[in-house]
Amino acid sequence: MEAVNKLRKRRSRIYSSEARVAYICLIPAFVGLIFLTYLPLLGVLGISLTNWTGLKSPEFIGIDNYIKIFTTDPYIKDSIIATIYFAFLSVAGSMIYSLFIALLLNRKIPARGFFRAVFYVPYVLPAVAIYVGWSWLYEGNFGFFNYLLSELGLNKILFIADSSYVIPSLSLISVWLAGNLIVIFLAGLQNVPGVYHEAAEMDGANGWQRFRHITLPCMTPIIFYNLLLSLIANLQVVTPALALTNGGPGNSSRFLTYLMYDQAFVNYRIGYASATTVIIFVILAVFTLVLFKTSNLWIYNEGGDDK
Amino acid sequence: MKTVKKLGVGLILTALTMSAVGCANNGGNTATPGSNAANTPASSKEEKVKIVYSMWGSASEGSATQAVADKFNASQDRIEVEVMAIPWENYMTKLNALATGGQLPDTGMLQEGGVIQWSAEGMLNDVSAMYEGSESKPLDSLAYKYEGKTVAYAAANEILLLYYNKDMFDEANVPYPPSALDQAWTWDEFVETAKKLTIDKNGKHPGEEGFDSQSIVQYGASVENLPWQLETWALSNGGGFYSEDGTEVRIGEDASIEAIQKVADLYLKDHVAPLSVGQTDDGIQRTIIAGTVAMATNGQWNIGTSLNTAKEEGLNYGVAVLPYMKDKVTLNTGGANVVFSQTKHPEEAMEWLKWYNSEENNWTLISSGIWMPTLDKWYKDETLTRKWVENPNFPPYDEYKSAVVDYAQSSAARPAAWFYTNYTSDFNTLLGSVLGDVWTGKTTAKDAITKNLDALKAAHAGNK
Repeated sequence: MEAVNKLRKRRSRIYSSEARVAYICLIPAFVGLIFLTYLPLLGVLGISLTNWTGLKSPEFIGIDNYIKIFTTDPYIKDSIIATIYFAFLSVAGSMIYSLFIALLLNRKIPARGFFRAVFYVPYVLPAVAIYVGWSWLYEGNFGFFNYLLSELGLNKILFIADSSYVIPSLSLISVWLAGNLIVIFLAGLQNVPGVYHEAAEMDGANGWQRFRHITLPCMTPIIFYNLLLSLIANLQVVTPALALTNGGPGNSSRFLTYLMYDQAFVNYRIGYASATTVIIFVILAVFTLVLFKTSNLWIYNEGGDDK
Repeated sequence: MKTVKKLGVGLILTALTMSAVGCANNGGNTATPGSNAANTPASSKEEKVKIVYSMWGSASEGSATQAVADKFNASQDRIEVEVMAIPWENYMTKLNALATGGQLPDTGMLQEGGVIQWSAEGMLNDVSAMYEGSESKPLDSLAYKYEGKTVAYAAANEILLLYYNKDMFDEANVPYPPSALDQAWTWDEFVETAKKLTIDKNGKHPGEEGFDSQSIVQYGASVENLPWQLETWALSNGGGFYSEDGTEVRIGEDASIEAIQKVADLYLKDHVAPLSVGQTDDGIQRTIIAGTVAMATNGQWNIGTSLNTAKEEGLNYGVAVLPYMKDKVTLNTGGANVVFSQTKHPEEAMEWLKWYNSEENNWTLISSGIWMPTLDKWYKDETLTRKWVENPNFPPYDEYKSAVVDYAQSSAARPAAWFYTNYTSDFNTLLGSVLGDVWTGKTTAKDAITKNLDALKAAHAGNK
């Protein structure tokens, strides 16, 4: 009994000294988080309750900015629709595309390393260069795609100049850019135990059945991670609007983050832009929460149900 | 209430500290005063007033301007000017931050859309006195006015004009557009000419039997549809964006709407223009320089920013006055040089600006064709005009003299809206978005503008 108590004591001493070291090591990260993330976040919340323009000192105006956003703002509704529409197409597209490519690259094909690099390259190229390149493909009068269409005797498609095509066109670029998802999927695929496949093969399962009942369930945690990553990145989309469309035509690509940028740094209504930022934050939070809450319905956990 | 306000201010200060930390690597590059300025024995003149002048540009552009300022510093013994260069992309953001901190430079450049807003917020000094007693003054259309007071003069002049590809005209055997204002084309003449210059794959023109608008290989005309430039056509058709004093919004009037629809119809009905939905500001590169369009409207600065290089590479282009609907109109514009109200030395700041704004000091920009002079003597005295225009960067002298120099001082030249009214950037952003589907024909200018007229009026009122 005595000995057990002693052991316990020693253990707790070790724990507490370990904990101390851990906390000391965490301090720099905490300081960074607090001063570079949480306080500015609170700052944004505070500024969103003012009419600050950056010039005169701000006046507290309560929730006026929020009221204005939801009643008279000419952009916000289109902006939310454009952002969610874009995020939906891009997330769905890039998940399917990158899982498919990862499955192909996971096979023993010749020059595998080369092809893996090929699909990853778009992700590391400078964003603006990519968008300028795509703008030449998409250009409505003489762009490459329209050149092909007119050679085939088809009517031109205006792509990013047409309000109904602009979001699908931009989503396509975003799907093409999903090299990072491919790499993560590849890593996941290599962790799918080979023995399952061997056993299933012996039982006569075909390729689709093995994919559906072995690969896919084993991949669900990775799919979840990629889904989350992709969803957050795509809901914060801004570069295509800045580089290609200026939010147009009309408001069809006026993404929320672009709208916020425009309010803050073109029209200098910092308070108003901060309120928009808070709304973006809430939308992101809702989507992330829903994803987390529903995740245990479809994520396969090797260690069994740990509820 | 008060505590909440204090809390808010505290939070803002925190946020500002944060952003100040973040700005360290992309903020202002003060052109190293050591390079030139420190060599002049400033310390021997203890009483020198120090003036800081802010400009947009790279560090090397800052050094170039500092070299000019050093000439000024050496020319007298009362004022010492130091140049602060801030990259264009975050110029206004940085100035906003400095304004909040009460640390604005004494004087500096200001983007067009910001002048009236800053003035309305009491950040700018009245500079009416700057040219008192001078023998040459800036052109009348280049003064920024707020509540009747001159709050800034443009640092440069720019006007809108019509560029055209001479080779395309020669090939089609069509006379060039007129460079003289009294011979300016009407809109219909402009469209008719554009039709002759629009060719499809089979060599047919719009209106001819068998013309295929889907396979056009050369377009006749492109009228820039960036919102601020569209005002030209609204004014030309007897309408406008605003009333003359800037207080009323007139874009809902039939004349204004009809003018905008006519611009859209160049693509939609006349099939003489490529589609442009106003997403990018590179009209001349996309049209004249790309060699796909025979005529295009845009600002004079294109001569220096892109056309001079294209000319060296063989582009044979000319300049002409804009066509007109009812009245002959072109717009003047130019970024402003202001004196900030936070300065303790407004007199000295004005003295520097006046010296600096003389064309000799901006000669590189002017002789390359990017800026036009602001002082009227350059437009009225032919020896000076020749000194300015007779160099290989420009189109032939007679053509440019008539289509640009005379045009800029004619009655057709009117100040762009940001010279006299506030919130033009809010208004233009909204107008650009409202018109998005007009260019592709999904809606008409009438429907789009009527439906959003209240929002446009609110934008012009600063959404108050």
